[in-house]
Amino acid sequence: MSDGAHFLFLIALLPFVGALVPGVMIRAGRTACASFTAVPTALALILLMTFAPAVLRGEVIQAEIEWLPQLGLSASFFLDGLGFLFATMILGVGLLITLYARFYLSGDDPMGQFYTYLLLFQGAMLGIVISDNILLLLIFWELTSLSSFLLIGYWKHLPEGRQGARMALAVTGSGGLAMIGGMLILGNIVGSYNLTDILAAGDLIRASDWYLPALILILLGAFTKSAQFPFHFWLPHAMAAPTPVSAYLHSATMVKAGVFLMARMWPALAGTDAWFYIVGTTGLITMVLGALIALFKDDLKALLAFSTVSHLGLLTMLLGFGTEAAAVAAVFHIINHLTFKAALFMTAGIVDHEAHTRDIKRLGGLRHLMPVTFVIGTIAALSMAGIPFFNGFLSKEMMLEEASHTKWLDSYYVVPVLATLGALLSVAYSFRFIAHVFLGPVRDDYPHKPHDPPFGMWAAPALLTVLVLLIGILPAVAEPIVTAAASAVTGADLHPHLKIWHGVTPALYMSILAILGGAVLLAIHAPLDRAWIKAPRPEAKTIFDGLVAALAAFARTITEGVHNGAISRYLAIFTVASVGLGAVAFAGGGLSERTRELLPIPPVIAVGWLMLIVATVSVVLMHRARFRALVLIGIIGLSISAGFAYLSAPDLALTQISVETVTIMLLLLALHFLPKETPRESPMGLKLRDGLIAIAAGGGVGGLVYAFLLRDIDTISDYHIANSYEGGGGTNVVNVILVDFRGYDTYGEIIVLGIAGLIIYALMQALLEGPAARRLRNVDYSQDRSRDRHPLMMVVVTRLLMPIAIMVGIYIFLRGHNQPGGGFVAGLVIAIALLMQYMASGFAWTQARQRIEYHAMIGFGVVIAGLTGAGAWVFGLPFLTSGYTYVHLPPIEEFELATAMLFDLGVFLTVLGAVMLMLYSLSRIARYAGSADVNVEAMDYDPSERQSDAEEAR
Amino acid sequence: MPLYVEILISVFLVISGVFGFVGSYGLIKLKDSVQRLHAPTKATTLGVGGVLIASMIYFIAKTGHISIHELLITLFLFLTAPITANFIAKAYIARNMREGELPSSGGRYGWAVYDDPPESRPGS
Repeated sequence: MSDGAHFLFLIALLPFVGALVPGVMIRAGRTACASFTAVPTALALILLMTFAPAVLRGEVIQAEIEWLPQLGLSASFFLDGLGFLFATMILGVGLLITLYARFYLSGDDPMGQFYTYLLLFQGAMLGIVISDNILLLLIFWELTSLSSFLLIGYWKHLPEGRQGARMALAVTGSGGLAMIGGMLILGNIVGSYNLTDILAAGDLIRASDWYLPALILILLGAFTKSAQFPFHFWLPHAMAAPTPVSAYLHSATMVKAGVFLMARMWPALAGTDAWFYIVGTTGLITMVLGALIALFKDDLKALLAFSTVSHLGLLTMLLGFGTEAAAVAAVFHIINHLTFKAALFMTAGIVDHEAHTRDIKRLGGLRHLMPVTFVIGTIAALSMAGIPFFNGFLSKEMMLEEASHTKWLDSYYVVPVLATLGALLSVAYSFRFIAHVFLGPVRDDYPHKPHDPPFGMWAAPALLTVLVLLIGILPAVAEPIVTAAASAVTGADLHPHLKIWHGVTPALYMSILAILGGAVLLAIHAPLDRAWIKAPRPEAKTIFDGLVAALAAFARTITEGVHNGAISRYLAIFTVASVGLGAVAFAGGGLSERTRELLPIPPVIAVGWLMLIVATVSVVLMHRARFRALVLIGIIGLSISAGFAYLSAPDLALTQISVETVTIMLLLLALHFLPKETPRESPMGLKLRDGLIAIAAGGGVGGLVYAFLLRDIDTISDYHIANSYEGGGGTNVVNVILVDFRGYDTYGEIIVLGIAGLIIYALMQALLEGPAARRLRNVDYSQDRSRDRHPLMMVVVTRLLMPIAIMVGIYIFLRGHNQPGGGFVAGLVIAIALLMQYMASGFAWTQARQRIEYHAMIGFGVVIAGLTGAGAWVFGLPFLTSGYTYVHLPPIEEFELATAMLFDLGVFLTVLGAVMLMLYSLSRIARYAGSADVNVEAMDYDPSERQSDAEEAR
Repeated sequence: MPLYVEILISVFLVISGVFGFVGSYGLIKLKDSVQRLHAPTKATTLGVGGVLIASMIYFIAKTGHISIHELLITLFLFLTAPITANFIAKAYIARNMREGELPSSGGRYGWAVYDDPPESRPGS
């Protein structure tokens, strides 16, 4: 490990941090924005270059920080030859694209957004190539899918842009999903998610039974990303993006990610027949097919897109061969393809920018009008064709050499013939690019009179063509980096020699054949094109759209079947599923012998039980009269509370009583604005079905409880009882469970409660802005309403009870830790005390006399509980660990102070806030429903003012 | 516990039982809501009161201290029972009676259920 290894983190972070810059800098102007976008990229590139000597010597630089060791996920990076090559490409081309985009994007395009997306994408790509942990790699992989979605759909106003972005995301995203599976399998085989470990364990992986599934899943990810047949169709549609995006994504980065992955995994996965036939064949087909389609594309960018598909196929095929020489050729071609393809994309962008069209049939003769662009485009295209003294020739020659002695299913001819065909087609479309765009007579019907762009726009492609020529004439300059990268791919110590003349080899003949054939094809392109247009071809987009539509329809059928908006259906599904699982569990056996006898039933209890049953049955029978049902529900609730008290669960009884009271009060208030009768809606069959489900579920739960009661079973209660005082400092086990043992649960629950309160408030807000508000205003409630809205007796009594109730609330809160009580019950008690005031004197009158915002109360509750929990961190303990101490103040008895009590305070505040917010929401309806006038006095008629009244009368 | 105390306690319990029974029976027997209103008042005052007194005597005899829980219960009953009765009566009047059916309130103002309170909000 070298000293500067921690700079790797900086390199990985720089683009993400830098992504914040353009959005700010765009206010300073477009040039400033572009310049500052270049800064993080340039910095990262400089840092990367400091590693160059070490990497080229064959060293591997590693840096690691533990992130989530439980998952085997660590933020570890490593830089070897392959990673270095890709990182240089990503950052270098990134810089050029930044420059190019500055001049390409028009003033109407939001440039800040563009550069932000670009840097995000750059960061994600960089992350992929230097990750040393496959889980981390997967994260970056998905990030590239997401950020490329943003880039491809950058022109949001164009439907092609949006559709292309969606297609790219769907295809690469689903491939990524498959890859996650493959990577997890791989990690499982090796026992480590560290890439270095996995690469070292190639033999183990190839011998594993899980090799093939892992290989297929990972290749699905790589093939979708690198647009290999049959997933190639997304790439041309992604051409709807601005040209800088196409140039970046489709020459150097996005689509190369799949190739990178195959190269990266080469030591672990390559070398088997499965690898050769899947990867090699797919690459071969893609190469030929892509080149064939490219020849007949009239859109410049579509031509380049399919040629990219073809070249990616070539790379895939080379990696698929599994030999070291092929790996060298692949690495070399990655570099060469980058240089000429990025230059070509930028050339296409310049032509489009200047001539306002990319249709080859409408172009021609541009060499006179755009000489600079012509030179750049021609050099790059000749390299793509594989003409000697351009770098494309060198790697294509190596490819043909490898292909010439590759045997496919006992045939020595399949691969060489098809490879030559691919090369031939490639020559043809490259020549067509030159001939039909630049050569020929000058036309007078261009949509816009073209001329060479400013220097800034052609500087980037020009630099790339210099590289094309440099490598093409002096291949030795690329030798160190190719050596380092190829050694990293294969894991062997390679010393390839790149040279132009290899002597008279089969590859030379194949090359000559390809160039001659390509020229012939170009000559007869016009009739071929007519035939091609007439021939029926499957349209990938239609198939894809059909597939997506079918999947969406399938998903909709399922969703709307089970999720149709009727709560009765949800409950039915949930209940039937639970009962079903219970039945399966019961059928599994394993029920131990009963060890307890039934206890005698005392007559009083039997009477209470009978009352409970009668009340429950009555609710079912009378539920249509809602008020009566509410009274019966109240009876049931109180009977259950009595049952809790009888069965020595005072905490539950206390909670049940207060919850019951609050619920009934709120329901009464809500019912005032609702119909008093439930309409008859369910047909008999539905009732029967629901009845059966209900009986099965109720009977099942009853049976389960009965079975438990008859057996001596070890439960967690014993642990809680044993540890409540020592561990939690409280003798009330229930409270200690709530605030300590299961504090996390409680914390989550109060958050849910707070959210529920806020949602009721929000729903009411939405309700009162809709048609419901009009209906409410038109309802006449005056008929069944007494004139005295705030009766004297009620007001006086509630006023009298308020301090008592609050005292009880505080008392219950304080004793909670050791005796029945606690924050939850206390919150409810105080809420009831306040509710009484609201009911007696009206909401607005009471609200005007207390200054607490209930929203804030919920927030404070959650924050206090959270901070109390987090306080444990200060002492180096886990979240929500409680501490306690005993305090003795002379006038009072010795009492206990526990942090759990602070937590309980949070619970208290949240409960109180949520209940009161619900009440507030309901009262808003009341004010809409006509009783908008607010009483000034607490009660309708205050007898203490009677004296003055009498005097007045006199 | 001496026998006379036990007898005393029993007497109060029996009294409470009788009144509790009468109150419950009245709830079924009486004709309409206003009449029925009378029945449970017997049960809450004398019926529950008997039990509370019996309980107090029992705890004095057993522990020697005066238990005040029962007094609190009494207090709360005295507070809540009249309010409940008041509201039931008001609801009955509002729903089932017309204004003319009631006797005169005897004062300068009508019944609260029908008339706005004196010196209420301007404009009403």
